[in-house]
Amino acid sequence: MIRTENLTKVYNGKAAVDGLDLEVGEGEIFGFLGPNGAGKSTTILMLTGMIEPTGGRCLVDGIEVAKDPLKVKEIIGYLPEDVGFYGNMTGEQNLDYFARFYGMSAGERKKRIAELLEMVHLDGVTQKASEYSRGMKQRLGLAQALINDPVVLFLDEPTANLDPEGVREYRELVEHLAGEGKTVFVSSHILSEVREVCRTVGLLAKGKLVAQGTLEEVARTLAPSDGDVVRIVVETRERLPDIEDPDIISVERNGNRAAVRAKTDIRDRLAASLFEQGVHVREIRVEEPDIEDVFMTAYRR
Amino acid sequence: MALDRLFNVARKEFSDHITSRRFIIILGLLLVISAISIHEGIEQYNDNLESYTEQLQYMGESDDPYSSWMPSKPSIMYVFMSMMSYMTMLGGILAIAIGFDLVSKEKETRSLKTLLSHPLYRDEIINGKAVGGIGALGFAMVLALAIALAMLLVFSVVPTLDEFAAILIFGAVSLAFLLAYFAVALTMSTVSKESGNALIYTLVIFFAVSSLLPMFGSMAADAFAGDPPEPPDVSVSKEIVRTASSSGYYTSSSSQSVVYGGEEDPAWKEYEEEMKTYVEKRRLISDVSNLLSPQMNYYTVALAVTNPQISAMMSSPYGYGSDQEEPSGLADVLGRVWMNIAALIVFPSVFFAAAYVKFMRMDIR
Repeated sequence: MIRTENLTKVYNGKAAVDGLDLEVGEGEIFGFLGPNGAGKSTTILMLTGMIEPTGGRCLVDGIEVAKDPLKVKEIIGYLPEDVGFYGNMTGEQNLDYFARFYGMSAGERKKRIAELLEMVHLDGVTQKASEYSRGMKQRLGLAQALINDPVVLFLDEPTANLDPEGVREYRELVEHLAGEGKTVFVSSHILSEVREVCRTVGLLAKGKLVAQGTLEEVARTLAPSDGDVVRIVVETRERLPDIEDPDIISVERNGNRAAVRAKTDIRDRLAASLFEQGVHVREIRVEEPDIEDVFMTAYRR
Repeated sequence: MALDRLFNVARKEFSDHITSRRFIIILGLLLVISAISIHEGIEQYNDNLESYTEQLQYMGESDDPYSSWMPSKPSIMYVFMSMMSYMTMLGGILAIAIGFDLVSKEKETRSLKTLLSHPLYRDEIINGKAVGGIGALGFAMVLALAIALAMLLVFSVVPTLDEFAAILIFGAVSLAFLLAYFAVALTMSTVSKESGNALIYTLVIFFAVSSLLPMFGSMAADAFAGDPPEPPDVSVSKEIVRTASSSGYYTSSSSQSVVYGGEEDPAWKEYEEEMKTYVEKRRLISDVSNLLSPQMNYYTVALAVTNPQISAMMSSPYGYGSDQEEPSGLADVLGRVWMNIAALIVFPSVFFAAAYVKFMRMDIR
């Protein structure tokens, strides 16, 4: 549904996005991760047809964005980071203004706006947008992004101004939209937020895509290289006896706990050996790299 | 560019303008002052009309040698002359007030990014904003003229068809003047990141072209034209006949003839020719510089429409009343000030073009 090919954007001689190749399938909830200034928003601006790439191209639903930005805008919804509205108009009037650009009839607009305002809990709010709290603006932003019932939804830091209840509702909404077959592209620098809703992620750093896949795949790709070594954590009720296996490289012991580095996954053999020695095993597991740590390391690179 | 999208932007902008407190206050002030000066103008017109009737009556009764001289009937366009002065100030402020934050405010509130995420092109936004602003200023102008016309009718002053056409042209010229400063404000709003800066830049340009430029024009005229010619030494008794008064806005002069028993002094005639050349040279330099000032162009064109006689005398102090014929109609009058009309069109066009180009290239991150 979304594809970029060698997508590049240069500002004042510096590449904000550098040769980005990305693919997001239909109905996916894709998390676009990266630290501030990594080029996430610039990528979204190119994908939404608001700026032209310096090089490469991007396609949404097979349409090349730079060649036909209006056609792309008709099928997408975009919630910008720190979304803004016309302060002299109510939420309903703001939505009505935007809806007019889609050629919707007055009846269609009224019905759609009522649905959306109810969905984001802003129905019955008669205040002008200038009097909205940041959270209310974010909710209205979500409503304006959905005004045309888009096929693809781009959300830039969508939970930035939401309270915990708002965040929970946002997550439910995203799940609901994905359930309807919409593709959701969520840009964020908060890993915890992305891992809650996204099935696949892409990690951007300094304008380049560092990794793409499921969170686990990306974490494994980014984990510090230790060859093919498998780290196994063992904990027993009794004092841990000596552990012997031809595949063991090293053992770090600490009372009834040990961290074993082995050439292969020897958990079954280890468990059997300990059982034969009459030792009760409390825990035996392969130690996966901590995703937060891995991403933090990647952010700092 | 689809017109429906452009008009959607224009409709919203127009509605924003005419419902904004800023616009309503300034327009209200403009209309109140307009009504007061129109009222004063009507009273003056009635006095002039009374005097004209008396003159006609006197001519019919006396055997005066000037019996062939016909007094001119006062025109109701004199009423609109009073509108010129406050239009250049309050009208200018109104135009600046609606234009200075048109784009910068959208940048500040980030609504521009939201708007651009919907299916419309950038040129439709900037053109829509311009059309909306022009519509609001047109609305203000129509309202001012409607009040003026209503007051004329209330005071039983009915304009002729020609006068009605002149009123419409006066309105169009006034609107062109307002557009000049609206275009400046829109450009500054597009160039500046903050509305405060846009307002300051616009006011700087406003005062520069309305006050500084005519002053520089006058200084340049002094510098390039040099000193005026010295009058010849006349010792014998003479009769001095003054024939003209002024030229241009800042350049003024007088012409006089020295007559000896019916024959003109050749030295004086030569001096008069030199003076004429000097004044024309000064006026040319001054006029060229004034072409850059919407105020000066507005004064020139509006005066030509409201008071063609004074306008003709100012534009040609030596020619008027002698070899040059009095202009016969509105077309002739406007033909004489075509350069000022062109300047009134070119000035806002240049700024609108600058705003357009800047907006199209604007970084919206």
